[in-house]
Amino acid sequence: MTSRAGIDSSTTDKAGSQDSQNVLVEMRGITKRFPGVVANDGITLTIRRGEIHAVLGENGAGKTTLMNILSGMVCPDEGTIVIRGQEANIESPQDALRHRIGTVYQHFTLVPNLSIIENVVLGTPSRFVLALNQAEQRLREMLGGFELTVPLQTQVRHLSIGQQQRVEILKVVFRGSEVLLLDEPTSVLTPVEVKELFGILLGLKAQGVSLVLITHKLEEALEVSDRITILRQGKNVGELGPAALAGKDDVELKQRIVDLMFGGLPPQENGGRAKIAAAPAVLSLRDITALGDRGTLAVQEMSLELRASEIFGIAGVDGNGQKELAEVIAGQRLAVKGRVTLDGVEITNCGTSAAVKAGIVYVSDDRLGEASVPAGSVADNLVLKAIDRAPFSKRAMLNWSAIQANALRLIHEFEVKAPGPWTRLSTLSGGNIQKLLLARELALQPKVLVCNKPTHGLDLKTVRFVLQTLRAQADKGTVIVLISSELDEILALSDRIGVMYNGRLLATFERDEADLETIGHLMLGVRI
Amino acid sequence: MNRRSFVSAITPVISSGLVIAAAFLVGAILLSLLGKNPLQAYHVLISRGLGSSFGVSETLIKMAPLLIVSAGLLIALKASVWNIGVDGQFLVGACLAGVVAPKLAGAIPLVPMLFISALAGVLGGMLWGVIPALLKVRYGLNEIITTIMMNYVAVYLTSWLVKGPFKDPQVVPPQTAVVPEAFRLPPIPFTPVHIGLLVGLIAVLVVYLLFRNTTFGFKLWVLGQNPRTAIHAGMRVSRLTVLALLLSAGFAGLAGANDVLGVKGMFQGEWNPGYGLTGFALVFLARLDSLWVVPFAYFFSFLLLGGEIMARSANIPVYFVDVLEGLMLVFFAVGVYLERTLAERDRRRVPATQGG
Amino acid sequence: MSAVPLEGFTTALLSAALIAAVPLLLAALGETFAEQAGLLNLGLEGMMLTGAFAGFFVALNTNSAYAGLAAGLGAGVLWGLLFGFLAISLRVDQVILGLAITILGAGLTGFLFRSLYGARFPTLDVSLPKVAIPLLAEVPIVGPALFRQQVVVYLTWALVVVSSFVLSRTRFGLELRAVGEHPFAADAAGVKVFRIRYLAIAIGGAMAGLAGAFLSVADLNFFVPGMTVGQGFIAIAITMLGKWKPGRVFVGALLFGSLRSLATGLQVVGVAVQPEFILMLPYLGLIVALVLLAGRTALPGALAIPYERGRR
Repeated sequence: MTSRAGIDSSTTDKAGSQDSQNVLVEMRGITKRFPGVVANDGITLTIRRGEIHAVLGENGAGKTTLMNILSGMVCPDEGTIVIRGQEANIESPQDALRHRIGTVYQHFTLVPNLSIIENVVLGTPSRFVLALNQAEQRLREMLGGFELTVPLQTQVRHLSIGQQQRVEILKVVFRGSEVLLLDEPTSVLTPVEVKELFGILLGLKAQGVSLVLITHKLEEALEVSDRITILRQGKNVGELGPAALAGKDDVELKQRIVDLMFGGLPPQENGGRAKIAAAPAVLSLRDITALGDRGTLAVQEMSLELRASEIFGIAGVDGNGQKELAEVIAGQRLAVKGRVTLDGVEITNCGTSAAVKAGIVYVSDDRLGEASVPAGSVADNLVLKAIDRAPFSKRAMLNWSAIQANALRLIHEFEVKAPGPWTRLSTLSGGNIQKLLLARELALQPKVLVCNKPTHGLDLKTVRFVLQTLRAQADKGTVIVLISSELDEILALSDRIGVMYNGRLLATFERDEADLETIGHLMLGVRI
Repeated sequence: MNRRSFVSAITPVISSGLVIAAAFLVGAILLSLLGKNPLQAYHVLISRGLGSSFGVSETLIKMAPLLIVSAGLLIALKASVWNIGVDGQFLVGACLAGVVAPKLAGAIPLVPMLFISALAGVLGGMLWGVIPALLKVRYGLNEIITTIMMNYVAVYLTSWLVKGPFKDPQVVPPQTAVVPEAFRLPPIPFTPVHIGLLVGLIAVLVVYLLFRNTTFGFKLWVLGQNPRTAIHAGMRVSRLTVLALLLSAGFAGLAGANDVLGVKGMFQGEWNPGYGLTGFALVFLARLDSLWVVPFAYFFSFLLLGGEIMARSANIPVYFVDVLEGLMLVFFAVGVYLERTLAERDRRRVPATQGG
Repeated sequence: MSAVPLEGFTTALLSAALIAAVPLLLAALGETFAEQAGLLNLGLEGMMLTGAFAGFFVALNTNSAYAGLAAGLGAGVLWGLLFGFLAISLRVDQVILGLAITILGAGLTGFLFRSLYGARFPTLDVSLPKVAIPLLAEVPIVGPALFRQQVVVYLTWALVVVSSFVLSRTRFGLELRAVGEHPFAADAAGVKVFRIRYLAIAIGGAMAGLAGAFLSVADLNFFVPGMTVGQGFIAIAITMLGKWKPGRVFVGALLFGSLRSLATGLQVVGVAVQPEFILMLPYLGLIVALVLLAGRTALPGALAIPYERGRR
């Protein structure tokens, strides 16, 4: 490689010079501003050869931006990047790849209509006419540690999430990357798949690859990392090297990291809820079958009985029919078979507005793409589902003063940080938007509230606010269907837990019967 | 209103002004390349249209169909329903009005006669609009392609109709019977301009109020912003889509009736004024803002008229106006880009601490 | 009617259909490249008209049909690059842009034609040689129609095979499909998204320009303002009907080429149908075909959506 003479003189590493021999990448004083946000504020990060380096921080701490800067997706406003001792200018993903930095994004970057092998060779230098057979041969030689049980000609859209992630890793390794950035790689995986992923990562480390693991999960960071850097509000607030991490199970160490991550936010009390009284079901689903957007069977013969005040958590890997189920309950998707009844009245396929009138509301996970009009005002968005009702509409005419009053009231009640009711929704932060959406649905005084990933991507304070609100709503008697891929959240909040796999409800547990491992296996369709 | 929001309210006007200036500049370059004097040409374009009271009233007469068509386009485009079929809807509406009006003229009093003829125009337009609307909601066919196809079908169909079944047997050219002068749209008192202009102004005002004050308008707006959101909010998207296209087509048909009852007095085969794309350009230049449509309609009407005068007296083909319209749309698109870039730079400058 | 004229008529009709299919095929193949790369070029009509005028103008002044075709192609490339600059680099709304180019193309060519020639309609005195393929051209009825055509017609057919190969088997084709389906993924993999899209729209423009030039230079030998009468839009629909597969696009173009030539054919044979009804056929037929075949097709994932790095 290149001469390392330059590194020793220029390194700012505090750990000492023998360590600097191994320095591969240094990010110095990185600052990046987005409209309204300073995402990275003078961050310095050092990546060494053959280490697993976790970048830990809660949502919104600036982890993803930092990684996007290194992968060439975002250009920093200030700061320099030094790679193998030479200042590097990374202006595009192509530049990053040329510096042998490969990235596995949180939202996978595979083209669904291309085959595995086409995805792997995409973007690599090759002759004009593709030689896929040769590439396949090369790939097979490298496959060693990977178990891809499907032919390389399979279109990527047919693969499971875990398999897709392996293709992603394969893709970057195929290009000979020496640094591998992984953005929240475990967020879409089941506990079993997480174990397998860590196996793969340790294997790569043994081959001398440096891995940067971006995560908000402390336990995972502790499990595999040699070094942890903690980010909070766009700043590097601490780095723990191998020595500091030696006492892994030390409670004090964990507490120290948590303090760094959250700046000393008090822990949340997990007060237990009273047992749900035996009562007739409020919402009942019988043999619900529904098709997905592509016409495949997304939900298959699902039956459920939910009582008043019950929080029913649905665990499962994304894309196993949870969203479609939520949409069927909300009247937004047709059930091809089965019945939905609310308080004994059948409402199957009654349509969204009838479902809302009957008392079923739905907080979608797609906040900007489905649940709101980003270009509209806060007030507009808060009446989206009630625009036909008094007092917002009288004889088909809008009542703007009622619409404004409604917005002022909800902004206040839900502690939304918004300049006013006529502010454009898209200028608010994700947390405030989610608060508004929740406020809108709860203002409809629902009997049933369906939530799809209600805390996804939110900062911890808002996460707590959302969970507390849900719990309080359940205490008022509302049935809550909580769909989430965050098992911790489901375990913390639910009275009962169901596991969905491949469109079916594999099992349900009472809260005290549920344990992480069993549920984790069921999420993969493994019955024990 | 603080300074900042005043600036943002006025920005579209400024940038539309720049867009027009840029189009005229490129037009001038084109004219000089062909050895024509652009200053002289623009002088003809402006002085004839603006300078005389005759020019002004001619412009106002021509403005009526543009206003009516634009009112309809506003409804469709705000709901993101791309009705490119205005020309076809206009022709079918005009043809039906041209068939009905001469039959009723003299048979019933003027007011109901005009009213029924106008209604025939509206129905004709809607008839032509309902087909692409149903194809869109029933079969998922993109309305851009189907409405354009319907335009061509309308041209051939109407010219066949006035050659055959609806032809006035008294005359040689293919056309419907002529509506006697006494049974045309009466002038606005003390002006030479017929009341079509008022109809157009009212149409635009109605659309303005529709989007400002009605739940229906609110729903159309949500649909236009994102159909998925409209579905999520429990709105009946198919119905809204059909209604948006139908109303839009109805206005186009009404514009056809306006030209038959107010200007031409009959429907002629192979007559196609092509207001659709002009309306499209002007509605976008007005930024889909209902009230701004009025001055822009005047401006475009003036251009169409000036174009004809230029063709006659300065020997510049009428196509020059199409060139200007096309250039304005292109520059409009560039203008939107520039505004967006400036706005983003502006927001980036505001320091903030709130993450997430 | 004896058998021999009927045979001749059938040959003429078939031959006319094949010629009428050429501009549709060229434009639709170009549109296939553009749309596969995620660009919806609704300006095809304007680009074809420009190609037709440029081809006519150059052929008239050079007396060379090939120079005319080349000029049409060049004019199309220029339009393609302009479309690319606005849609790719400036992220302009592609529907508005396409319609703007349609208006501008029609206006500009009409304006130039009338400015240069006034009320005259000069005709071209150029012709492209017809080549008969030995043996095959001797087959009755079909032979002369299929295998005694201008070279350009054969080249167009070859283009179908070439396009199909390029799209499915080459690095460029792979990158093109990736860019149209998931530009972020392509970018992350190191594909130069903008470059691929510019290339795709340049090809689309080139083919549209060539299609127009074929119409004025090779087929009709004259230019009239607005002479494409919606063929650009028909080509866009054929692309959709063909589901972005060159082979299927070929079939679609032949179908609508036949419908267009039917008008002339029926008049020749003296069938008493109002010409308006025959002229309507392609447009009506297209709507019917879309209803039967195209409904709710899966569009390329990123069609008409501009790409901006670091933002999704």
